[in-house]
Amino acid sequence: MFMSGTIVLLSFQACNGIFSDIYDQPSPETENEYGFILVDESSHTGRIYIDATKYTEWHYIDLHEKLVTTEPIDSKAPEKWDFAVHRYDTKTNGGTVWESSVSDFHSLPNLTTLPSESFIGDEWTTDRITIDMSQMMDGIILYAEDYYNPCLSRWLDVDTSTMPPIYTLSGKVYLLRLPDGSYAALRLVNFMNDAAIKGFMTIDYMYPVTL
Amino acid sequence: MTMRFILLMLLGLHFATGLSAQRIISGTVSSNSENKPLQGATISVKELPTLGTVTDEKGYYELALPDNKEYTLRASYVGYNDATLKTKSLQNETLNFRLTENTTMLDQVVVTTTRTPKLLKDVPIVTRVISERDIRRGDATHIGDLLQTELPGIEFSYSMNQQISLNMSGFGGNSVLFLVDGERLAGETLDNVDYNRLNLDNVERVEIVKGAVSSLYGSNAIGGVVNIISRKSEEPWSVNLNGRYGAHNEQRYGGSVGFNRGRFNSMTNVQFTSIDAIDLSKGTDNEEVGDYSTIYGNSTLNIKERLIFTATDDLEFTARAGYFFRERDASESIKDRYRSFSGGLKGNYRITERDDLELSYAFDQYDKSDYLTPNDRDVRDYSNVQHTLRTLYNHTLADKHILTIGGGYMRDYLMSYQFEENGNHTQYTTDAFAQFDWNPHRKLNLIAGVRFDYFSEAQLSHLSPKIGVMYKVGNCSLRGSYAGGFRAPTLKEMYMNFYMGNIFMIYGNPDLKAESSHNFSLSAEYMKSRHSFTLTGFYNLVDNRITTVWNQELAGQVYTNMAPLKVAGAEANATGNYPCGISWRVSYAYTHEHIEKGEPLLSSTRPHTATARLAYDKEWKNYGLSMALSGRYLSRVTADVYTEITSYEKTVEQTYPGYTIWKLSLTQRLWRGIDLTLAVDNLFNYRPDYYYSNSPSTTGTTCSIGLSLDIEQMFK
Repeated sequence: MFMSGTIVLLSFQACNGIFSDIYDQPSPETENEYGFILVDESSHTGRIYIDATKYTEWHYIDLHEKLVTTEPIDSKAPEKWDFAVHRYDTKTNGGTVWESSVSDFHSLPNLTTLPSESFIGDEWTTDRITIDMSQMMDGIILYAEDYYNPCLSRWLDVDTSTMPPIYTLSGKVYLLRLPDGSYAALRLVNFMNDAAIKGFMTIDYMYPVTL
Repeated sequence: MTMRFILLMLLGLHFATGLSAQRIISGTVSSNSENKPLQGATISVKELPTLGTVTDEKGYYELALPDNKEYTLRASYVGYNDATLKTKSLQNETLNFRLTENTTMLDQVVVTTTRTPKLLKDVPIVTRVISERDIRRGDATHIGDLLQTELPGIEFSYSMNQQISLNMSGFGGNSVLFLVDGERLAGETLDNVDYNRLNLDNVERVEIVKGAVSSLYGSNAIGGVVNIISRKSEEPWSVNLNGRYGAHNEQRYGGSVGFNRGRFNSMTNVQFTSIDAIDLSKGTDNEEVGDYSTIYGNSTLNIKERLIFTATDDLEFTARAGYFFRERDASESIKDRYRSFSGGLKGNYRITERDDLELSYAFDQYDKSDYLTPNDRDVRDYSNVQHTLRTLYNHTLADKHILTIGGGYMRDYLMSYQFEENGNHTQYTTDAFAQFDWNPHRKLNLIAGVRFDYFSEAQLSHLSPKIGVMYKVGNCSLRGSYAGGFRAPTLKEMYMNFYMGNIFMIYGNPDLKAESSHNFSLSAEYMKSRHSFTLTGFYNLVDNRITTVWNQELAGQVYTNMAPLKVAGAEANATGNYPCGISWRVSYAYTHEHIEKGEPLLSSTRPHTATARLAYDKEWKNYGLSMALSGRYLSRVTADVYTEITSYEKTVEQTYPGYTIWKLSLTQRLWRGIDLTLAVDNLFNYRPDYYYSNSPSTTGTTCSIGLSLDIEQMFK
């Protein structure tokens, strides 16, 4: 009786566990769309989703045409782009960036009140853009020489003083002033996909900023 | 049971014959620590060896003395020290006995060593027991805290990602089998079970057998077995509420409800704990305080229920269920979550006075998930589900020899982020074992057993033998044993395909052999009066230990069997226990690991470790006091460390400093069932200069306060 009851029990679905419903199911990454996945023309806002898991790629974002172009790190940039993302690093196409203290676009201050000297441009770096982490544990990291925007890259803090590193989203809105004088507001919402794999960047934007 | 009945009859007879003298001595026998009556305690008369009686359910006795001379009465009870009182007057009088618990625990029954209940003093393999009283004194939240305080040679430290890792006399977490009432636990992280699941509320005792015990428990029991025995509800009803508050906002709240009515016995227990993150750099000028600078904060919730139904005097069913949840604040964006769901059903049937049978089914599921705060999603990436069926049959021959036969079946399902595309694998294992416990003479005990295990995925068959002998001479017990141990490769070790931190690959190896060991142990135990001394020496020959090595061809790490390794050592333990309430214990362990020349010795087992405790316990009518000063010492150790993780060609020596930590705790019983505990941990304010993964994660002296209420005692 006891044995047969248990065997019946074993043959149920519970073999592979119970209460799987309490978890969220990750959507398979192959079905995910990349690029400008949400666009609201009326409010000039939207969401960009990028697979930036590879260390060897820049993802160039064109806010005018709403296009994301991915290029190997040693290749030329596309003709038109406004800012670019490599892992959590950023650079701009001749733009400058200001870090606000707010977390939503509508709380941004009036653009005319912002002193232009508080906007920070890109800088040339030799030790920021990581391209090979395979020997990291031995203290060897290979970098590409490239431009890098130190202000916009503050959208995610990676504290490598402990292993594994501690990732902290700033949650703040960043204002990007483009060479043509227009402004874009950017906020990094997430740096992981549903399966907690890091390098999947979800960026909310407003362009042009009309405040 | 039979013996007690005969004794009762004999003593009752004497009691009846003595009634005619009309000088009646009466009174009660109760426990000093818990103030509860002791039923079945024996009252004997020193001057008249044939005279005596036993106490009833209220701990009450009456004894008729034959004349008006002065006599000495002795009260004895299993697990307690004898007490004597002299008759004062030459008439009827009341003599009440209060017995103190016997801390040497010679009369303690253990089940782990032989899988049958047996007196601790009679088991032929050295077994350590941590009693409920020691658990209370230790003020520990989970098993790790307790084991480190009580036993030398045990170290819980951090491995990668602040996951807890055990070293028990040279054996890691996957070589020490943790059981709860004899059942395994599913799930592991970096080769260690989740020790937070093993809280100490309603634990009656913890039994520890060091050395190989695979002949009874199969895989993983190479370095030893730790078995946590739950407490049954003994009172008709009981309610306990407890809370504890300590440094770093550490909080622990627990509650249990028990009842014992008719055929039902139930115990429900809930415990919640939480602690904030610990900033190790606080109060230092040092920016690089260690391998890590912050200990993650975390919280746990543990719910357990156990219901026993006694169908007849010979048939008993036990049902249990449990839920465990832990959340670790690994970062603002990701919270690591760990859950377990467990349940079981067990039937015990006493077929005859000499035969009993146990059948059980156990279910245990351990899940890991990441709670992603940016998008409020809780995604599971690991699930280990184990279904186990077991049977155990005992047959007693000539009232003293025991034949034990058992068998089991387990289905082990593992889904993991460390498998290709978060895949899963399933393994079936079967086992059968037999053991004969032969007691040809009261001074001699021989035990021999063998177990066969089969693992379907590894297609692995393994035989684990054991032979043990014990010889008693005077106050001394000599024990010697040989036991085979083994550990089958796990599904993780066989099938891992994991891109470690986007840095390098780790590959499983389906061709792994089982780890195996030959364990030899010799011990001498001397007990006299209030002191005990135990000396144990052991030698382990371990082969095919499973580890990862760098593979140039695959440009990644691969699971591989290691070269043979020898682990030898000795342990010494001394205790003293006095009627004034003072007791002490000192334990020391020496461990030496030896690997083939030219091979790196990567483990950092500390050669010398010791634990000590000095305690004072005293009970008055409405007040009780228990003070304990306990300490542990771990010596420095030098280990080999690879200079590069991607070549494994060169190593350098790394020395980890030793340390000593003391704790002082004071428990006061203020009124019936109200216990207030104050504790000062790290009494001498030790702080590591640099926090290695095996340094204690203390930031200096800390204090805690705890309160426990046994509600049922307030109504007595």
